[in-house]
Amino acid sequence: MHRLPTWSKMLILALLLLVAAGFELALGPMNIPVSRLVPAAVLYFHGVRTPDAVVVGAIRLPRLLVAMLVGVGLSLVGAALQAIFRNPMADPGIIGVSSGGSVGAVVSIATGVASHGLWVSPLFAFFAGMLAMFAVYRLGTVGGKTSIYSLLLAGVAISALCGSVVTFLLSIEPTQTMQGMLFWIMGGLDNSSWVTSAMLCVVVGVATLVFSSCAKAFDIMSLGEEQAEGVGVNLQQMKRVTLFTSALTVGVMVSISGVISFVGLIVPHFMRMWVGPAHRVLLPASALGGAILMTGADVVARMALSPTEINIGVITSLLGAPFFLYLLRRQYSTIVRRR
Amino acid sequence: MTTLEMREVSYSPGIKRASEVFESGEFVGLVGPNGAGKSTLIRILAGIWRPDSGSASLDGVDIGLWKPRERARRIAYLPQSLPEDDVLFTVQEFVEMGRYPYRRSLGGMNRADSAAVSGAIHKLGLDSLVNTPLRRLSGGERQRVAIARCLAQQTEVLLLDEPISSLDLYYQIDILRLLQSLAKDGLLVVVAIHHLEFAAQYCSRLVLLKNGQIVGHGSPTQVLTERNMVEVFRTPVKTYVDPLQGSLRLSYGAPTDSD
Repeated sequence: MHRLPTWSKMLILALLLLVAAGFELALGPMNIPVSRLVPAAVLYFHGVRTPDAVVVGAIRLPRLLVAMLVGVGLSLVGAALQAIFRNPMADPGIIGVSSGGSVGAVVSIATGVASHGLWVSPLFAFFAGMLAMFAVYRLGTVGGKTSIYSLLLAGVAISALCGSVVTFLLSIEPTQTMQGMLFWIMGGLDNSSWVTSAMLCVVVGVATLVFSSCAKAFDIMSLGEEQAEGVGVNLQQMKRVTLFTSALTVGVMVSISGVISFVGLIVPHFMRMWVGPAHRVLLPASALGGAILMTGADVVARMALSPTEINIGVITSLLGAPFFLYLLRRQYSTIVRRR
Repeated sequence: MTTLEMREVSYSPGIKRASEVFESGEFVGLVGPNGAGKSTLIRILAGIWRPDSGSASLDGVDIGLWKPRERARRIAYLPQSLPEDDVLFTVQEFVEMGRYPYRRSLGGMNRADSAAVSGAIHKLGLDSLVNTPLRRLSGGERQRVAIARCLAQQTEVLLLDEPISSLDLYYQIDILRLLQSLAKDGLLVVVAIHHLEFAAQYCSRLVLLKNGQIVGHGSPTQVLTERNMVEVFRTPVKTYVDPLQGSLRLSYGAPTDSD
């Protein structure tokens, strides 16, 4: 597999995404044959409202878009954070952005300000995510050095704190249902619509542009700060830009799809193994991989216990948590071996 | 003609009121015992650390005023730590990173970039390893790759922190001769170095550090005196001239405890 040229690997990923997308659009309470998907979508855009057209155009297509965009966003942010923290275990969920973002979103809903406009919740999620990430970063930095272990511990603590704040706010909310609570804790794609897709499109687009322009610096930073300083990488600027963009992207994503863990961890890691460490390739490969994983996970989440839907975060966590433990073990054993 | 100048530089902890002028064409060895401040001084000269007081300037301009990219086009810095042994990048990719200060954030390598990279790889004898990932290389090979990346930056100034410490005899001499010839071609090369006889043989000038202060500078024979060796390195030596090479040699006695 390693000998395949890069373009063919990208092609494979694109084809996998196409297959996953096909399943996502075709399967559901009402199965639609693949051959009728495109005509149904065309009909929908022409304003024709047959059952097929409505299911595909109004329900499944936006849901597919949200799944893909969230997957792309999480994976890009994961890859970027892994580069600047120089650690394969960095992930938006682990360093506090996601859980902070969920606090922001829930606060905006609980206080009622969210009803003032669609952008209010994402904005709250962005600032709270920033705040949480900043707290984790500061707590994890001792004497000017950011150790990954203190960072992880600080992330666990802040995430737990944020989780309890979310649970508290939701439990005093009289109209809250159990399903609604689960949404904020495990993530879900029930908020999918053309409007939320468009919002995601904007922030994921921004993240793509920003991170692409940082690709060369990411390569160098992934080797360590000492190595990066000599060749003129502006470390402070890169960190600031990356953290800000990550918080923005994740904040908006959390306000739409809740906290979805481990996608940003798993995908870049696998892609690094498969396409190599250069971010010029790693970033697009991770984007595709994230879209595949999220779309696939959503198909499983919707179909496994059909007609009951599982929260998509359950699926990603089931995949991700063992993988995270494996990484932790491996990194620990590397350190032990080096001593 | 390039002049790198430190004026009354202090950096806490480590450097106390150090002043020195380095000029292009020189191959300067920073010598001194562990903890004397060699690495700190190199970092300050490279503009990576700002001095607490005093100034470091290149051609009269304070190094701290430059943006990192502009600085990296004029000064290359080799950190003491090697690239780690888990790096997946190939030699080619790693050396290409030396072109970072010249390249646009999007877009590929131009002809000058490619020429600089392949020239640097060739000078360090790494041609056969271009497509090998760094994690498959020995420590000495990784050190040479790191030096190649510095050369790929095509700077007027090379600041190398212990460039030969993990190399075998062949490559120690090979690298020192390479640096010597680069200095002859007009570069300013400053190295922190522990191997005093090599320093004496290849460097055009030595700067001696002790407890963060410059306590001697000049030609190897002026600096590596029997008195300095006892006072700074706590090691009595007899110096003599190598009859074959004509360069300074040291015959070591037992280290002393006196300071």
